[in-house]
Amino acid sequence: MNLMSIIITVFAGSLLTAWVSRFGRLQAAWVAGLITLAALAQLLPMVPSVFAGNTHIEHWAWFPSVGLDLSFRLDGLAMLFALLILGIGLLIVLYARYYLSARDCMGRFYSYLLMFMGAMLGIALSENVIQLLIFWELTSLTSFLLISYWQDREEARQGARMALAITGAGGLALLGGLIMLGQIAGSYELSVILNSGDQIRAHPLYVPMLVLVLLGAFTKSAQFPFHFWLPNAMAAPTPVSAYLHSATMVKAGVFLLARLFPALSGTPEWSYLVGGAGLMTLLVGAVFALFKHDLKGLLAYSTISHLGLITLLFAIGTPLAAVAGVFHIINHAIFKASLFMAAGIIDHEAGSRDMRKLNGLWKYMPHTAMLAMVASAAMAGVPLLNGFLSKEMFFAEAASAGSHLKLGWLLPAAVTIAGIFAVAYSVRFIHDVFYNGEPIDLPKTPHEPPRWMKLPVELLVALCLLVGILPQATVQPLLEIASAGVLQTTPPDFDLAIWHGVNIALIMSVVALVGGGLVYAMRLPLFRLHDEHLAPRLQAKAVFDHIMSALFRFASALTRALDTGSLQRMLVLFFAGALVLGVGGFLMGGGPLSGNRAMLPLDPLSLMAALILIFGTLAVVMSHRQRFTALILIGVVGLVVSLIFVKFSGPDLALTQLSVEVVTIVLLLLALYFLPQSHSAESPRWRRARDLVVALLAGTGAALLSWAVLSRPFTSISDYFLANSVPGGGGSNVVNVILVDFRGFDTLGEITVLALAALGIFAMLERIYLPGPDADAQGRPWNWDKHPAVMASFARLLLPLALMVSVFIFLRGHNLPGGGFIAGLVTAVALIMQYLANGEEWTQDRLPANTHPMLAMGLLIATLTGLGSWLFGYPFLTSSFGHFHLPFIGEFELATAMAFDLGVYLVVVGSVLLILIYLGLMHGASHRPASGKEDYR
Amino acid sequence: MPFAIPNYNVAIPEMFVLGMACLVLIVDLFLTERSRTVTYLLSQATMVGAAVLTLTTYSQEVVLAFSGTFVRDAMGDVLKAFIYLSAFIVFLYAKPYLQARKLFKGEFYVLGLFGVLGMMVLVSAHSLLTVYLGLELLALSLYAMVALQRDSIFASESAMKYFILGALASGMLLYGMSMLYGATGSLDLGEISREVATTKMELVMVFGLVFIVVGLAFKLGAVPFHMWMPDVYQGAPTAVTLYIASAPKIAAFAMVIRLLNDGLYGLHMHWQDMLVILAILSMAVGNIFAIAQFNLKRMLAYSTIAHMGYLLLGILTGSGDGYAAAMFYTLSYALMSLGGFGMIILLSRAGFEADRLDDFKGLNERSPWYAFMMLILMFSMAGVPPFLGFWAKVSVLRELIHVDMTWLAIVAVVFSIIGAFYYLRIVKLMYFDKAEDNSEIKQDLDLHVALSANSLGILVLGIMPGPLMALCASAIGVM
Repeated sequence: MNLMSIIITVFAGSLLTAWVSRFGRLQAAWVAGLITLAALAQLLPMVPSVFAGNTHIEHWAWFPSVGLDLSFRLDGLAMLFALLILGIGLLIVLYARYYLSARDCMGRFYSYLLMFMGAMLGIALSENVIQLLIFWELTSLTSFLLISYWQDREEARQGARMALAITGAGGLALLGGLIMLGQIAGSYELSVILNSGDQIRAHPLYVPMLVLVLLGAFTKSAQFPFHFWLPNAMAAPTPVSAYLHSATMVKAGVFLLARLFPALSGTPEWSYLVGGAGLMTLLVGAVFALFKHDLKGLLAYSTISHLGLITLLFAIGTPLAAVAGVFHIINHAIFKASLFMAAGIIDHEAGSRDMRKLNGLWKYMPHTAMLAMVASAAMAGVPLLNGFLSKEMFFAEAASAGSHLKLGWLLPAAVTIAGIFAVAYSVRFIHDVFYNGEPIDLPKTPHEPPRWMKLPVELLVALCLLVGILPQATVQPLLEIASAGVLQTTPPDFDLAIWHGVNIALIMSVVALVGGGLVYAMRLPLFRLHDEHLAPRLQAKAVFDHIMSALFRFASALTRALDTGSLQRMLVLFFAGALVLGVGGFLMGGGPLSGNRAMLPLDPLSLMAALILIFGTLAVVMSHRQRFTALILIGVVGLVVSLIFVKFSGPDLALTQLSVEVVTIVLLLLALYFLPQSHSAESPRWRRARDLVVALLAGTGAALLSWAVLSRPFTSISDYFLANSVPGGGGSNVVNVILVDFRGFDTLGEITVLALAALGIFAMLERIYLPGPDADAQGRPWNWDKHPAVMASFARLLLPLALMVSVFIFLRGHNLPGGGFIAGLVTAVALIMQYLANGEEWTQDRLPANTHPMLAMGLLIATLTGLGSWLFGYPFLTSSFGHFHLPFIGEFELATAMAFDLGVYLVVVGSVLLILIYLGLMHGASHRPASGKEDYR
Repeated sequence: MPFAIPNYNVAIPEMFVLGMACLVLIVDLFLTERSRTVTYLLSQATMVGAAVLTLTTYSQEVVLAFSGTFVRDAMGDVLKAFIYLSAFIVFLYAKPYLQARKLFKGEFYVLGLFGVLGMMVLVSAHSLLTVYLGLELLALSLYAMVALQRDSIFASESAMKYFILGALASGMLLYGMSMLYGATGSLDLGEISREVATTKMELVMVFGLVFIVVGLAFKLGAVPFHMWMPDVYQGAPTAVTLYIASAPKIAAFAMVIRLLNDGLYGLHMHWQDMLVILAILSMAVGNIFAIAQFNLKRMLAYSTIAHMGYLLLGILTGSGDGYAAAMFYTLSYALMSLGGFGMIILLSRAGFEADRLDDFKGLNERSPWYAFMMLILMFSMAGVPPFLGFWAKVSVLRELIHVDMTWLAIVAVVFSIIGAFYYLRIVKLMYFDKAEDNSEIKQDLDLHVALSANSLGILVLGIMPGPLMALCASAIGVM
């Protein structure tokens, strides 16, 4: 027999029950009962050993590689809970079999119930606190399923959701607390944690850890201010309520307090946090219970109050108080389970739970009434019943704890008030339901329930009496061993006698009993007071709803403010974020902003170029609404950049920049055709001001970064290329040698991408016809057919010259500024000029618009050049070169790289033409050529 | 200029995926609307094949190739295997969705495969260049995929936003890389790491780091560089959102580890502080904004932002255990995210997106099984045991406390409590509200099976998280 198999039995039984239910309603109940019995049968053989004072600890290798073990623990406390869970669980199974009506799905109910039972057992028997947490959250989950069993009821939904939200969130807090606890103690095993109490209490993390753990325990045990979920979870079927509120669920919280008692208790923080919550809960629960007209509502608030009582006992922190706490856990479980079942019987047989309608049921169901009355008296703390004993101990502990404090009399006074209300609501439960006249229009005529439905109640009530009358003979050993489990040492001597003589506790008890009777007698004015003044204001549920809706409003407001979907705002946030991080990096990074590199002298030319650049850029920004002007200004900026390249000895780059600039401007001009010439400001003034600030900051940041980088020394890689260009690549134009030789592979990739881009643009534009404008801004009709003769002739004249230049640039490219790329751009510009000056018709007649073959040819040549080197046993794209002599021309050099450059040239010409021509042809629809030549594409 | 023949064996899976992507691209041209399934099957075969190639040659050894720009190690292999798995699931879930919307075209699969290739390169990057190469291949595929539904103005708008912001972020990343190159004189991550460790702290390095972190944060979707996520998640067709939300996050994790740990561990002090800010903001914004959402895709976007915050928590510890925890978190997140968006696809049909929260109302009446599956997913995302997401949160928190950042762990717990509310709202809608439409859920059998397996997998992995944890730990190399 081992502990894990008990838990596995229950979980496996849950699945079995679900499966069995397809064979009939009652089979599920039988199986559930047998499973519970089987689990109990496995537990019982271990009981004697626990009574002998042993603690069973089991480790099951789960995933040893990551230090995850399943470990279980059976000591007095764990055994007490396991017995309660299984014992009361068995009675619930029996009871529910008669309680559930024919249309309720039994399989599902019992399956959930067993799952819940397994999770509870897991909590009680866990040795590892993380594992405990898993079972803890499982109880939240399965209790959610149980509470929501009757889904069609509005209140059930509300209640289940709230229960889940509160306990689930508390579980997450507990997770944080337990991880910290494990970190402090150095282990997640309870045996270690429970023995390192001093170390834990002295640790600086003790307070945050304690708060998180208590949040978990308080939410689960419905302690003030989280108490409101419990009454709202009353919508569950009564067997579930009986189970959840007696031995399980809410007891998990106090179980945790008891379990960690040796590790956490004994500090002022513990006393004030736990005690404050416990006392408030005790009072609030007791007072509100009296005013609930719903039978189950009354019981729910009384549960809250009793949980507060137990919590308060653990807060007091003395060993004797802990014993009293454990004792009350037992007693409360017994009488509360029987009371809920009795309430369920009444609901079941009378059809209502409203105490304003249920009156005088004594006549209809005397047997049930008898049982309920005894249980209720136990709840009130009437002598000779179990509740009396633990309440007496509680009063004694509260009185002695209060005697050490300033204003200490307040504690026993408050406790006595709670006792008075406890008696009052117990009396109400008895008197309102079973006496107090005749029932008022009940849906059914009440009668006694089936024999077997009463049996669980009878058993529990018998226990109330037995424990109450013969405590030493019945509960004493169990209480001793369970207390030893809580305290982890020998418990103090305590006396469970019924009569201790006249002492302060007895006086408090008597005051409570008499006062309770008096309060009940004055109930009608109190009800009025409550209904008219208190109820509307003191709704914790309303507070919860209010907090939830406030959270929702807060989130909505934030969303509206920040998540507008506006790209502008996104960009502002993006840059602001980058700026903040950048400034932070600068502040953290230390070190001076500037490096130690010597400054170059400032010459007038550079200064002028820089100034033009700055003013050109500013002018673009200022005039960006006049698109045409802005475009020209961009051209100016580009030209200045190419001049700067010239100044810094980069003629090659300058040439490239120049030709790219021209082609780009032409491209933009073509696109501009479809746009209005100007547009008005879209953003309000403040937003532009904001953007200006962000832009200035970002610009300053970028400038500082450039400064930081440029003022530091660096080793340039250009020396390598300068040294190797002639011997390695056979050319003295380093840029060109890099392009066609050193980085030939990259260039091949690039021209492929260029060709693909051209094809992509072609594919997109091919069938698009956009209506172009018919008139310009002044209303003058657009002149689209007449091409000025002077310009046309000059352009035609220019063509051979331009082609010649491009050939020249191409040929000299390997050694002097030039090369295939620039030559390609020059050629393309020359051809495009024909389109611009002579019109498309004229040009189309002489030049095919289809440049696809040119693209393909270029790529083919470049690739073949690369493959050629394979023939000679060299890797792809290895180049070779030699010097040749031709008559008339003289000595010249020929490198395979030149063939590659030819490929580059063709691809560039083909791509640029393809793109520009089709951009230019887009307006074909609105300016259809007169000659009807439409199929030139 | 002669050069050595590189060791191609190391990159066999990458080459296989590249070849198959090109093959699919060409084959698809010859297919008709009805035989398009061939594209689908070929894509799936690619994922399976790549998985076989990667896993059969799995080893703990670290191999550098292609002049040190490419690395193959255990972490990379494990992450790649999960990328294949994610992509496989995405293709599977996406099929009925695409078919119902006339989007069942070769482009989705080709772009998807190229995206996978980009992720693989990113995962195996050992040079700033390779990082950038993989990143851009992935990003460009994603931009195009978002815009796939051309007649949807939402998709176009979000693709545009994604592109503009993504281009900016790439620019920032490049800026940072160039500064790093300026400061260290190398693009190789190993070189950079040595250089950072030996030289005196340089301001330029820190600036470079700042911009690299900006780029990484954008990729992950960490606040304040998260703005694209809600719009893109909501605007893109769900099938594409599914893709974006799963595998790329795995690759982004790898990218963070490669850059920050493999390259810049010497600056840990500095990047830790930055990641702390990003993580807190992400958890706060993600969890709070998610509450106010009515669209499930948008809500999941914010939830992703929050998850990225938790993921950063693991990374910022700067310890091997922390990375393993973050890796575990990433993989868990990917599985949960697949399930979440898969559920939206399950409920959708032609002309109905099922992406509003209200569309999940009363799911329990319509299909108790799928309500339960969604319940598993939501609980797992909220971090409730015994589901996978719980272990992800536990391991990250544990590592945080381990490096004495308890205050941050408490902050994380507080935000996860706030976060629990919006996940539970879905559960409440499914179980307690009346369904707005009661139509039967009709989808292909494979979607049913895969989605159920996905959700149950999260449950099973939640009950037995050990193997996955051990896998992450051994992949990072902390065992």
